[in-house]
Amino acid sequence: MISYLVTVVILVAIAALVGLALNLQWGLAGLVNFGVAGFVALGAYTLAISAPHVGWLAGLALSAAVCAGLSMLLSLLTIRLEENYLAIVTIGFAEIVRILLLNLGDLTGGALGIADIPRPFAGVTPAGWGDAVILAFALGLVVIVFAFSEALVRSPFGRALRAVRDDATAAAALGKPVLALRVRAFAIGGAIMGLAGALHAFFLTYIDPSQFTPIITAYAFMAVIAGGRGSNLGLVLGAGSIMLILEATRFLKDVIPGVDGVQLSALRLGMIGVGIVLLLILRPEGLVSEPKRRFADFFPPESEKA
Amino acid sequence: MALQLFINGLVTGLLLALPALALTLVFGILRFANFAVGAFLTLGAYAAYTANVVLGLPLPIAAAVAAATVALASLIADALVFERLRMRGSITLLVASMGVSLVVENICRFIFGNAARSFDLAVARPIRWNGLRINHEQLITAGVVVIALVLLHLLITASPLGRAMRAVADNASLAAVRGVERRTIARITFALTGALIGLAGVLAGLDRAIDPLMGWNYQIPIFAAAILGGLGSPIGAVAGALLIGVAEEMSALILPVSFRQIVSFGVILLLLLFRANGLFGAKAIRK
Repeated sequence: MISYLVTVVILVAIAALVGLALNLQWGLAGLVNFGVAGFVALGAYTLAISAPHVGWLAGLALSAAVCAGLSMLLSLLTIRLEENYLAIVTIGFAEIVRILLLNLGDLTGGALGIADIPRPFAGVTPAGWGDAVILAFALGLVVIVFAFSEALVRSPFGRALRAVRDDATAAAALGKPVLALRVRAFAIGGAIMGLAGALHAFFLTYIDPSQFTPIITAYAFMAVIAGGRGSNLGLVLGAGSIMLILEATRFLKDVIPGVDGVQLSALRLGMIGVGIVLLLILRPEGLVSEPKRRFADFFPPESEKA
Repeated sequence: MALQLFINGLVTGLLLALPALALTLVFGILRFANFAVGAFLTLGAYAAYTANVVLGLPLPIAAAVAAATVALASLIADALVFERLRMRGSITLLVASMGVSLVVENICRFIFGNAARSFDLAVARPIRWNGLRINHEQLITAGVVVIALVLLHLLITASPLGRAMRAVADNASLAAVRGVERRTIARITFALTGALIGLAGVLAGLDRAIDPLMGWNYQIPIFAAAILGGLGSPIGAVAGALLIGVAEEMSALILPVSFRQIVSFGVILLLLLFRANGLFGAKAIRK
């Protein structure tokens, strides 16, 4: 039971990381990324391939760097065009990643995947503490990324991104470098997705292409919509509750008679779709709406300065 | 060998032409790329399967059932989802269409499971001619699509409805001033494109096994075809579909078969790099 709880918390942590990344790209910068699963897979595989040679820390950095680089390229390609194009290119990217993972067997192990991925601090972990260490690592990663995202939202960079999202023309007229802002936001989001993929690989220590289906993308969108676009706190709550609901529905099979495993998973995924649509229609600002930031939040008046 | 691949490619391209056309027509009027195209294609295949295998109806009737089912489903999706979000911009519509896609795909999965299925069709010997093999399914596909395209072309270019559709796509406000309601035209477009996608689902089911992910596998080539033709341009979409079909099949000459799907993506990337308006340059689509 304890190890099951640890599993759930780590799954929530991974979902929260992916959600924070998408929140940055879509919530803050208005860039639709339908290839989330591809970036997570790329992060996981980069780590799995590199970590045995360069160590887990360098592998982690490499995962983030590779995903950031590819995000940058994809966004550069389409970012001048309508939103539709970035969405199409990212969805295509995820498919290509999947095909390459399956077919570049020498590098990726093909459908069999890669096993025996080293975990962080594996050498200094006492026997039996493996799960506790990975749990602490996951939570630490979420806290760091969350703090970073919050700082980003409050920074001039985050403010400029919101301006670009809400009205790119006006932002450009005010001298904001729209293109550069968008590319950077997309790259940072990609890097966080890479980290999420790396955490996934650390946790399972075994990865194969079937773990990275487009469902990851659907969950991430659901989390961002539910949590409230642009709100990092809402996002973590959203990602957490979605993961918990999904995990809870695993047990429905024992309760509802006559529903087999495939039907149950269809039901769960269908509900995600219904949830995305319903929330978009009924509560577009999400459960926790993006905080209204006033001028004074950024530049407190002299009297309030201590 | 090359000629055989070319012919296979043309047939694949014709199959892609219907959903690519559907995508581009909806884009023309509502300005968003409908990511539910693939899922609706799957729905069409299952609707025809139900009529053909479960109810024992002949395949042409099953195809009509599929077209009607998907047309109806598109109308429902429009009324329940897209219409309500129309004012909220294309990003919201994009994400909503992804949600619709998840719902439709998983309704199919819930009812039919993940097992691959196929139509009840007598296996016929392929026609051989000068060393070429042509399946009856390929002939059916080519015939059906060509007829559908001719009818659609007449509808768009020579009927009052087609004129209204083009007017809305061109300038919705101006069309509204002249008494053409975007609302009505959008509904008709959804029904019409739904029927096209349903038909494509049946033809896809002739070509390959029917499973919940079949439409997903066509998604990238469909989008590649529509972009190649310039999103919003009907004739461009058909030409784009033929080019993508041929390029995918001919790629077998130089690439392993498993890399086939990369071709469509490669085409999209090259186009966006060099000619984002598509080969047949519809209107500028830059921001």
